[in-house]
Amino acid sequence: MSADTLLIGAVAYHERVVPIWEVFREYFNAQGIAVDYVLYSNYERQVEALLSGRIDIGWNTNTAYVRARHESGRPVRILGMRDVDSDWATLVVTRKGQGVEKVSDLSGKRLALGSRDSGHAAILPLYYLAKEGLNPSAGELIRFDTDMGKHGDTGDSELKVLRAVADGKADAGAVGAPIWASLKNKADPLIQGLEVQWRSEDYYHCNFTCLDSPEQGPLSRWSEALLAMDYNDPGLRNAMDLEGVKKWLPGDENGYATLAQAMADQGYLG
Amino acid sequence: MTSPPAEAATRSLDAGDIEFGDGLEILLSTVFQSAEPGQTIDVATSSRATALELPGWARSTGHSAEQDWKETNQDGQRFIVRVRRGDVTPVLAPDLPARGDPMPLRLGTQFHTSDLISAAPERIPDSADPSYGLVPLGSIPEAGGPDYAWRLNRHDDLWAEDLTDLTERATSSQWDATSDIPWSEALDLPEEVEQAVAQVMTFIASNEYVALYVPAKFLPRVNAAFVDILMWLASHINDEARHVEVFTKRALIGGQRGYALASTQMSLHSLLEEDDFSSASLLLNVLGEGTFIDLLGFVSRNAPDAATAACARLAHRDEQRHVHFGISHVRRTQKLDPDSTSQLIGAVEARAAKLATLTGLSPVLLESLTILASGSARTAELRRGAAAVNELTKLMEVNRIRRLRAAGFDLETSHYLSELHTPNLM
Repeated sequence: MSADTLLIGAVAYHERVVPIWEVFREYFNAQGIAVDYVLYSNYERQVEALLSGRIDIGWNTNTAYVRARHESGRPVRILGMRDVDSDWATLVVTRKGQGVEKVSDLSGKRLALGSRDSGHAAILPLYYLAKEGLNPSAGELIRFDTDMGKHGDTGDSELKVLRAVADGKADAGAVGAPIWASLKNKADPLIQGLEVQWRSEDYYHCNFTCLDSPEQGPLSRWSEALLAMDYNDPGLRNAMDLEGVKKWLPGDENGYATLAQAMADQGYLG
Repeated sequence: MTSPPAEAATRSLDAGDIEFGDGLEILLSTVFQSAEPGQTIDVATSSRATALELPGWARSTGHSAEQDWKETNQDGQRFIVRVRRGDVTPVLAPDLPARGDPMPLRLGTQFHTSDLISAAPERIPDSADPSYGLVPLGSIPEAGGPDYAWRLNRHDDLWAEDLTDLTERATSSQWDATSDIPWSEALDLPEEVEQAVAQVMTFIASNEYVALYVPAKFLPRVNAAFVDILMWLASHINDEARHVEVFTKRALIGGQRGYALASTQMSLHSLLEEDDFSSASLLLNVLGEGTFIDLLGFVSRNAPDAATAACARLAHRDEQRHVHFGISHVRRTQKLDPDSTSQLIGAVEARAAKLATLTGLSPVLLESLTILASGSARTAELRRGAAAVNELTKLMEVNRIRRLRAAGFDLETSHYLSELHTPNLM
């Protein structure tokens, strides 16, 4: 490993992470940017590695980014995000025909949430619903804390949320808009009796995070190469589909203000 | 929900109350594909839930939702989402060309394979890229598929005149080894005759195995661009599978069993080793199956029962196609490349060298053929049967030389190759 190889951290939330990064590594290397990747089993370990300089770039969830920014003690920089990260949203769904017109109609109902460390399926839903005047008590919340450390990436807790609503064990559930779109696209029977009642404002989701340092040249070149990835390149399409991206965008810190506030309010930032 | 934008969209779509999962995604896909990248489309729906799902659909399909608002009129509420079309191409290939002419039909209803090959919008190439995919004739391949590694990539190395007509005939003359043979006719033969028939049928079945394996060995090496060759080889394989079936059935139907002779195995094994397509065609189609045509003709004429005769007659019809292909292919190969002649001769010589220890047709088989043709083991009939077998041997040689001549070899070479041909017949 040469000293000028950029080391990228990613969390192994699924087997597909390996083929994705094998293709991406080849792509960057072909651009003349030496890159390698290292996989972590959870975002906490990855943030720790980023802050201690063991990796140069972390492919972070929004929650991991906010934590890294909070804990770094110095500025962090965003090198890019997926198109899908630029207008992520949380949906609240119910069974069809529940007569829910607005969020406050869910008052006193049982609300299912995804993993406790998921920004989109647990932290932000509580924050937004509170802004809409809905503050479910602990007894009204049904939490599915699965795959902890992966911040909801596996989608497992969201599927459990939807199952709970479909089975009548919860009256409403919070999930990310992408998983709902994906289940809709394949006409998944799980959601056929469900409908969307509410959609949050858009917020940012994952990003590539690096520490701000005087030597930003290689990182800037890496970012430019990332943004130049072409979904119409046959060699990249499959890996980009697996990563759920059609276009990489620059990203900025403005899309994380709400989550940072929500994490602070809910005691996630110590 | 915000207020309507001041600027009008490029176009609009009233989706009514159709929802995702009920066909809305198809409607949207059609409309967005016909729009240009960057254009905006106002999608109106009477369903609030659908309006809330539209941004997620847009993102997952490479577009982006920009704004949404609500309108109220006498019909009630409409929710509108403005979506900007992205520049994602769903299929990594050029646009489909304009619709062309329909394919020709014969007698107003029949779509012949040779017409498909000649009228398809793309010609079958003379040589094809070894990495070519499983791309049906006339279709447009999408970029990004895996690279294949076909070994047979020159059409001339595999083709023969009449190939598609032969394939057509193979398809139209299929038969059923279960119900097209009068099996009950085979049940009452005397023991010595049944034993002889079982031995001859076992011998034929063994030989049909190699006729099955040889084309089957080459088929997966053939470039997928050569669909005419693939269809031919598949029909050949299908024929031979049925021959294995029918002769195995005939061998066993009377309760008798025959020997799978080592000399037969040795001969067939050497045929399976040939790795050049044209050489294998000479050895199998011209020499082997050619000689077998005479054997099958002999069996159908002399069989002691109608079932055995029917098995031989139907297989004979199929083998004629295979022999026709072989003669036509070998003749063409020599015409296109005169140097190929020595290679073809070399293949026959090499096989003969491997079979140097085989001195003649097995006595077990000769005996069985004689009894089969005699219809009994009595002296008077045996004389007639032996004469018929002698006639067969002569006929095989005459016809073998005739076929070699038709395949483009001169008279002297034809005699030489016929001499070298395996005494095992196939």
